[in-house]
Amino acid sequence: MNPANPLQHNPYNLIITGVGGQGNVLASRMVGDMMSQLGYDVIIGETFGASQRGGSVMSHLRITAKGVYSPQIPFGSAHMVVALEPSEALRVLKDYGNPHVRVICNTRPVQPVGVIRGDLDYPDMADLRRWVRELSGAAWFIQATDMAMKLGNPILANVISVGALAATGALPLSRDHFENVIGRKMAAGKIEMNLQAFDAGVAMIRSAG
Amino acid sequence: MRIYGPQTLFEDVQQRGLCIGCGGCVALCPHFKTYKGKTARLFPCDRETGRCHAYCPKAEVDLDELARQSGQPSYPASPAGGYQRIVASRSGRRLAGQTCQSGGTVTALMTLALASGRIESAVLTGTKGLVPHPVRVTHPDGVAACASSKYTAAPTLSGLNAAIEAGRRHIGVVATPCQATAIAQMRANPLQQDDFQDPAGLVIGLFCTWALDTRHLIAFLDQRMDTRRIRKMTIPPPPAEVLIIRTDTGDSEIPLDQIRPLIPGGCRICPDMTAEWADLSVGELEGRPAWNTLIVRSETGRALVDEAARDGWLETESYPSGQLDHLLGAARGKKRRALQQARADGLLNSAPDTCRAALRLDAKTVDALIGDGEECACRY
Amino acid sequence: MENTPGQRHLVMGNEAISRGILEAGVQVAAAYPGTPSSEIIEVLSQVAARRHMYTEWSVNEKVALEVAAAASFAGLRAVAVMKQVGMNVAADFLLHVALRGIRGGLVLISCEDPGGLSSTNEGESRPYAKMMEFPLLEPGDFQEAKDMTRWAFDLSERLGSIVMVRSVTRLSHASGNVTFGQLPEDRPTADFNFNGAMLDPDTGPMINLPGPVTIIHRRQQEKMARAAALFETSPFNRYDGPERPELLVITASACQLYCREAIEILGLEQRVGLLKLGTTWPLPIQLLQRHLALCRRILVVEEVLPFLEENLQAFAARAAARIGIKQFFGKNDGALPSTGELNPDLVMAALSRILDIAPMGRDDAYRRRAEAIFAKGAPPRELTFCPGCPHRASFWGIHNALAMDNRRGFVSGDIGCYSLAALPCGFESLKTLHAMGSGLGMASGFGKLSPFGFDQPVIAVCGDSTFYHAVMPALVNAIHNDANVTLVVLDNSGTAMTGFQAHPGLAVNALGETVPTVEIPDLCRAMGAKVRVCDPFDLPVTQNTLLEMLDDPQGVNVLVLRQICALSPEKKGKKRYDMAVDPQICRADDCGCNRFCTRIFRCPGLGYDPQKGTARIDEVICAGCGVCADICPSGAIERKQRS
Ligand SMILES: Cc1cc2nc3c(=O)[nH]c(=O)nc-3n(C[C@H](O)[C@H](O)[C@H](O)COP(=O)(O)OP(=O)(O)OC[C@H]3O[C@@H](n4cnc5c(N)ncnc54)[C@H](O)[C@@H]3O)c2cc1C
Ligand code: SF4
Ligand code: SF4
Ligand code: SF4
Ligand code: SF4
Repeated sequence: MNPANPLQHNPYNLIITGVGGQGNVLASRMVGDMMSQLGYDVIIGETFGASQRGGSVMSHLRITAKGVYSPQIPFGSAHMVVALEPSEALRVLKDYGNPHVRVICNTRPVQPVGVIRGDLDYPDMADLRRWVRELSGAAWFIQATDMAMKLGNPILANVISVGALAATGALPLSRDHFENVIGRKMAAGKIEMNLQAFDAGVAMIRSAG
Repeated sequence: MRIYGPQTLFEDVQQRGLCIGCGGCVALCPHFKTYKGKTARLFPCDRETGRCHAYCPKAEVDLDELARQSGQPSYPASPAGGYQRIVASRSGRRLAGQTCQSGGTVTALMTLALASGRIESAVLTGTKGLVPHPVRVTHPDGVAACASSKYTAAPTLSGLNAAIEAGRRHIGVVATPCQATAIAQMRANPLQQDDFQDPAGLVIGLFCTWALDTRHLIAFLDQRMDTRRIRKMTIPPPPAEVLIIRTDTGDSEIPLDQIRPLIPGGCRICPDMTAEWADLSVGELEGRPAWNTLIVRSETGRALVDEAARDGWLETESYPSGQLDHLLGAARGKKRRALQQARADGLLNSAPDTCRAALRLDAKTVDALIGDGEECACRY
Repeated sequence: MENTPGQRHLVMGNEAISRGILEAGVQVAAAYPGTPSSEIIEVLSQVAARRHMYTEWSVNEKVALEVAAAASFAGLRAVAVMKQVGMNVAADFLLHVALRGIRGGLVLISCEDPGGLSSTNEGESRPYAKMMEFPLLEPGDFQEAKDMTRWAFDLSERLGSIVMVRSVTRLSHASGNVTFGQLPEDRPTADFNFNGAMLDPDTGPMINLPGPVTIIHRRQQEKMARAAALFETSPFNRYDGPERPELLVITASACQLYCREAIEILGLEQRVGLLKLGTTWPLPIQLLQRHLALCRRILVVEEVLPFLEENLQAFAARAAARIGIKQFFGKNDGALPSTGELNPDLVMAALSRILDIAPMGRDDAYRRRAEAIFAKGAPPRELTFCPGCPHRASFWGIHNALAMDNRRGFVSGDIGCYSLAALPCGFESLKTLHAMGSGLGMASGFGKLSPFGFDQPVIAVCGDSTFYHAVMPALVNAIHNDANVTLVVLDNSGTAMTGFQAHPGLAVNALGETVPTVEIPDLCRAMGAKVRVCDPFDLPVTQNTLLEMLDDPQGVNVLVLRQICALSPEKKGKKRYDMAVDPQICRADDCGCNRFCTRIFRCPGLGYDPQKGTARIDEVICAGCGVCADICPSGAIERKQRS
């Protein structure tokens, strides 16, 4: 199968990052499935296991017209970073960022235990925004968790972020593809809420201009 | 009084083997707990000042300051602290039929204090097996259940702290000299809390030359007898030099020489034999096993003793001539040995800005206490 | 895993392996769970009924391999799956089955974890193939993960030998596109034939006896020679590159992806040749000889130890007269690290150094700035128990009991989520951590040291699954040798670390069928231990029970702490309590508390609000277990039962 649209980069390197329990493995799987159904070859590299418990979790997606690439993106070569947690964006940019990388950043912090304990400081959101902007070619900040709580479940921040990713136009993702993918994998009762979340993510990028 | 934090307490007292397990730092917060006669730090706390350190009788005890707080100009160079009078006493007819350690003075006075409403509850010391533990009593009839001496150092003050944490005030306490020292420091509101209220309504101090480490004593006795059968322990007056253990099956005597290694390190620097910071201090009366020595120190103490004598709780007699020298000699001996030990260990009046001390008092007073007087040849 | 031959799917490496197993017509699959291997049996279990297959979570890896071998002896195709550490558990039986041979295709799949991403070690098992003499296959991508797994069964039957397939985390837990093949429909029946001659491979009893060992061993070596011959033409060994490269890179497994990408990024396609091996033991000698002859300089890229590298060096030395003297690069000369996993950047760096080309630098100013911002903007995330995790409560009790006991007691433990008890989240209680079941084995040993002056109490911990896996022999040992120890079984009703696989304590098996349970308390009592069961969320009872056990001067005490894992399907997303902190009561950092809940207890659901100066509950993260209400010294944390 040959995909219809050419990619902005080949392979297109997308990193979805967050903290264990935020559902970024599922989000990367959704994006991967959508792109795979469009005919692209997709490689997803992720680490789970011990890192799930309170640690940083990162998924690397390589999307390509054809071929297999390393499940680890080479340093400095991310094209897009979707961060479900703001400080995690900085962790990813340190290794994989470059002046052109684009970033979608959920603004709700998940405090590391060191911060909860009082040994470490968590940065101000204003600083985080400034730093993410400085280290990226373009950045969107979205209140994904707050919106997800309005929709009834904070975990939906991951789907909202997928919607946001689609709205940036970085990859040829659409609501139809999304519906198609979740239609296969999800219990019927959950689909409506996920679609709402996706739409909310799209709207957030649109309103950000 | 210099106040540091719990980390300092842990290093200076617990890690140095000076902790006598009084419970002064226990039940203020979840960091310190007492278990089987030993005080344990469960978790470190990083506060720079804390009540745990402020109360501890083995860390930065400023005797002159405590003296000033109780209305004296400075800590006296006398062997038994400041007092109004010393009498011989024993419980009166109102307390008939109770077995006490010696004269029953303590039990009689505490019972009256509760019955008269002077205090709302009393924190005493009971045992589970050989492990002493605090008991809070609110009814006068409950006092006698804790009668008799537990010769192990006891975490009595954890019970006091718990009662204070629960909002109690006007609490009576029976305390050994170190415990009475801790209470004196509590009463000083060391952290200058706005809502501070003196928690203690009455402190009856016990004479004490030394106590024993609970875990060491249990291990020691476990090798020699069935400890479940122990009923009472006494240390009769000299020249006996024994600890008598009364069990269901008879008495056994253990020479004090074998017992002394079980004394915790903290006792060796304790300068107080007669519970100088109490309202009343009670000990044995040599040669009269069913009587006590009673020292009246404060107005609160005097009023209680007067009422007790008037209403048949207490019998008093004037103190036998000759005994006083004996008593003061023993007290002086303990003071001298403790100050010498503390000085030798660098725990006395260490340089104020650079080092911490266990004990502080005017250098001239130290000289007077260490230098003068004959040491008594009694058992102490 | 629907039957969709010819179609292309995005699947995880482990799913690709599962598909290969299905396409090979395997009928019995047994495993002990372990990251990164667990999904293989999970996927198979879902389709087992439709595929007329039996899957099981075995009690440990040795038993898993035995269960699979039994099926093989009865003529069926069978597979045993484990992670690298489990290989060592299975190794005893493996030696014997490798020697004697098999009947139905028997494949052992080992999923290994270079870098120890989710393991306590990065041990590898490739040397077993050489040491015990059986063939080793290493898939290099997702399609190969399926195809080579499938082929491994054919190979096993052709040779009459067990075959090992080795995967790594970056394949098993990564996903890629795989085109599915046909699923077979024929279903052989099982029958164990033992009436033939003693040494007859097909009809005799399956026995290794002292006398004929060398005969059987010679036969095994002949199989290896045949394997090597087959590997000469295997499509899984491929060369890409110029006819006469300046440098020949030899690699296998996921490393081949790193090499390919490194060569592509550096634009070295015309200078560097890439020989990717799928069959890494025994080595295909002719093939190697042909390629080695082309080039003087060889770079071997593999994870983790120089297994290929040293075997290639040995071969090159033997063949030097024919192929000339070679210069090897790899682990031994430090061109690549011999610890941790590799990645495209490490391979690029090695290539740049060897070929003396400028390294592909990142924008230096950007990197420095990003590092500086990272240092202030991304506080490290220490691993911790989940919100609502029973282990936090259990180790609270264990820590406090040991601290109060105050004899410098410690915990010896083993592998599971609860290994994190070595970190602040478990109050740093865990002081020895080695193999499965080692906690009690160690405690049993410590418990016999009192004649030498040892007077510290020891609490051994293990998980419920681990108890069956390896703790039972240690328990017998401790009881029989009269060691004075306490064992705490952290029973969270499943093998939580790897995703809730069934174990003998549960009334359900891998297939979802109802099966008899083997109760841990009953077992321990029957062995002669003194057993108590409590709920770790009941903090005072747990702590006091432990104190009593520590006080007991004689024998073995077992405390089973039973509370379901916070991530289990039963609990996940369901809060038992609504939690709140009363800011009027909270003492924050005053003397009397000093932020005890956040500074010491540290459930991630708690937080400290420096502006308000009080603790607070993060409702997004809090799992509503209610435990923190019991640790607050002031009663400031309120819990309200949910309707
Ligand atoms: C460790 C120890 C050492 C002592 N050493 C001496 C000494 O060297 N010379 C001397 O004259 N007297 C000493 N005494 C005091 C003496 O044993 C009697 O307690 C005292 O004479 C009072 O007698 P009583 O009959 O009035 O006591 P009781 O009426 O029997 O009352 C005893 C009271 O003491 C309290 N108590 C018992 N054990 C402890 C303890 N370990 N810590 C705190 N409170 C406790 C009980 O709560 C009870 O209220 C010592 C007492 C203790 C506990
Ligand atoms: S400083 Fe206060 S809170 Fe800290 S340990 Fe001491 S008493 Fe407890
Ligand atoms: S002597 Fe008393 S206050 Fe001091 S550390 Fe020991 S138990 Fe705590
Ligand atoms: S433990 Fe209780 S009092 Fe202390 S900070 Fe936490 S909520 Fe406040
Ligand atoms: S109730 Fe308390 S201990 Fe339980 S998850 Fe919530 S914050 Fe953590």
